[in-house]
Amino acid sequence: MPVEIPKDKWNGQVRVVTLGATADQGGTRTSTVTVGGETTMPFMHFEGEIPHRPVIALEIKDRRPDDWSSLLLDLWSDKADDPAVWAKAAEEAGADLIQLSLSLTNADGNPTTPEAAVDAVKKVLAATGLPLLVFGPGQADVDNELLVAVAEATKGERLVLGICEDKNYRTIVATAMANDHLVIARCPMDVNLSKQLNILISDMGLPLDRVLMDPTTGALGYGIEYGFSVMERLRMAALQGDAMTQLPMIVTPGFEAWKTKESKVGVDVPESWGDWEQRAINWETITAVALLESGADILVLRHPESLKRVRAAIEDLMTAPETV
Amino acid sequence: MYIIGENIHIISQKVKDALTARDARFFQELAVKQVEHGAKALDLNLGPRKKDGEEVFPWIAETVQAVVDVPLSFDSTNIVGIEAGLKKITKAQPIINSTSAEEERLEKVPLLAKKYNARLIALTMGRGGIPIGSDERVTIAIEKLIPRAVEIDYPIEDLIIDPLVLTVSGCQEYCPECIEAVRTLQYSWDPPPAISVGLSNVSNAVPHENRPLMNQVYCAMLMGGGLQMMIADPLDKELWEVINAIESRDESTPVKKLYVKIHDRIAAMEEITTDDVDMSDPGQAAIWKTIQILLNKVIYADSYLEQ
Repeated sequence: MPVEIPKDKWNGQVRVVTLGATADQGGTRTSTVTVGGETTMPFMHFEGEIPHRPVIALEIKDRRPDDWSSLLLDLWSDKADDPAVWAKAAEEAGADLIQLSLSLTNADGNPTTPEAAVDAVKKVLAATGLPLLVFGPGQADVDNELLVAVAEATKGERLVLGICEDKNYRTIVATAMANDHLVIARCPMDVNLSKQLNILISDMGLPLDRVLMDPTTGALGYGIEYGFSVMERLRMAALQGDAMTQLPMIVTPGFEAWKTKESKVGVDVPESWGDWEQRAINWETITAVALLESGADILVLRHPESLKRVRAAIEDLMTAPETV
Repeated sequence: MYIIGENIHIISQKVKDALTARDARFFQELAVKQVEHGAKALDLNLGPRKKDGEEVFPWIAETVQAVVDVPLSFDSTNIVGIEAGLKKITKAQPIINSTSAEEERLEKVPLLAKKYNARLIALTMGRGGIPIGSDERVTIAIEKLIPRAVEIDYPIEDLIIDPLVLTVSGCQEYCPECIEAVRTLQYSWDPPPAISVGLSNVSNAVPHENRPLMNQVYCAMLMGGGLQMMIADPLDKELWEVINAIESRDESTPVKKLYVKIHDRIAAMEEITTDDVDMSDPGQAAIWKTIQILLNKVIYADSYLEQ
């Protein structure tokens, strides 16, 4: 008996966004990365097009981090002491993109200066030809100070500047507009705020093909179901034609997973939890793959082994099954 | 439309200050003003008043009753305070706002309503909170709220079921479901209970300038579902214009005609389409956008009208 597979029909499309600029485009990248363009829910190849596969960034810092798991620090070892070396190693590990997260203070405990931030970004740009995402330390005034200096010193590179939030977006959007960069709009798991922030950024005049949105997600076991639903809702709205939700989504499963107890702690946990490093990699991988299934276009990870596994999942998911 | 005036509400700073000062004249003026603008009953929401409820509720009842004849609705969780207030009622049949389906409240509050011959607002909310789906809300009414009234021999005609309006800003998926709950509740019992909602809740956390439009459009939609009673702002003249247009089928202006159309479409369970709307008229376009939000077809954002 022939079985008819029910298909959804969508009339909207996620915007296509290109990260990084090559020399003839006004930057210095040896390649660019393009995401978005979907006309269907994740991996429903029989319902629409997924012209650009999801990509993976590895996160590095401008100096050896104080608060990262020893598993990660041991792994990257002395490479973590120099962002240029670290970036090169991340590229060799298979990253499509590098996310450079700026620290609030330098190794001596003094505030990171704009000059130091620019220096770190330039070193990374010189060490790798991959497109770059630069994140501030996460305090509005410091983010603005550092990111404006970075944006001005790298005009034309189409860096991704992170992050814009509803209380702090004007300065970063303005400098992205003036210096040909992109921004990330981040909201705390709230569809209404996400859409509102996209409207506000668009109202400032930044073309929406230079905006990514980070809906924030939580990690496996720590609210990821809620993050999943928010992403699903935003993506369905996008496919239904809501222009202010049609932005590719960037998520940070590395950051989320590596702050859970299961990843962070290796001692005084039940023996049944098994090998610490395997558990941590599993946590990051499963968090990332769940987000892939909810519509993520860019995944930021921390462990190269997680990258390999998530990459394999993407390959499988992007292989269209036999036509139905 | 039977409007229970909402304006004596502790969330207003003026009300708060007047209550602290026991400014009887303030409350009397606000009561008279609401009745003059068409309120058929008055909600008195002074909060739980855990410490002084037994003094405050009788005081407000006597104060307001001295100048108006309409039913007074005691809107509080403080049962002892409400009872003290009920003892002072000498004019119209009062209202208790409210009980939920939570066991402890459902045990006590209906008995109080029966003892004082008060009408009772019953919320379709159980211990598990407020369900999203209309069917689940109606189920709470049929399986918990109405059976409790039957059990204590409380007249169903005096029962007012409130299927709970929630804000479009954060609880958007509840908005279309509430319209359907209003529709279905009319067939929930014979004789049917009354149905009421708190209309203004739909625009909680919505920017001040956009609240009236949200309230008015939702009112038209709820009326399409069969709503005949609500707690709302009787001083909102535009809201009355919408209500009057629908009730008298006044299609004398394009916007009034659209509101009648919205009512008719919802009543007939038909989709409201762009053919019903003249998009070149900014007023109608704004109503259209608001309908899309309230039906949860487009994600709400504070700037949705500018999109």
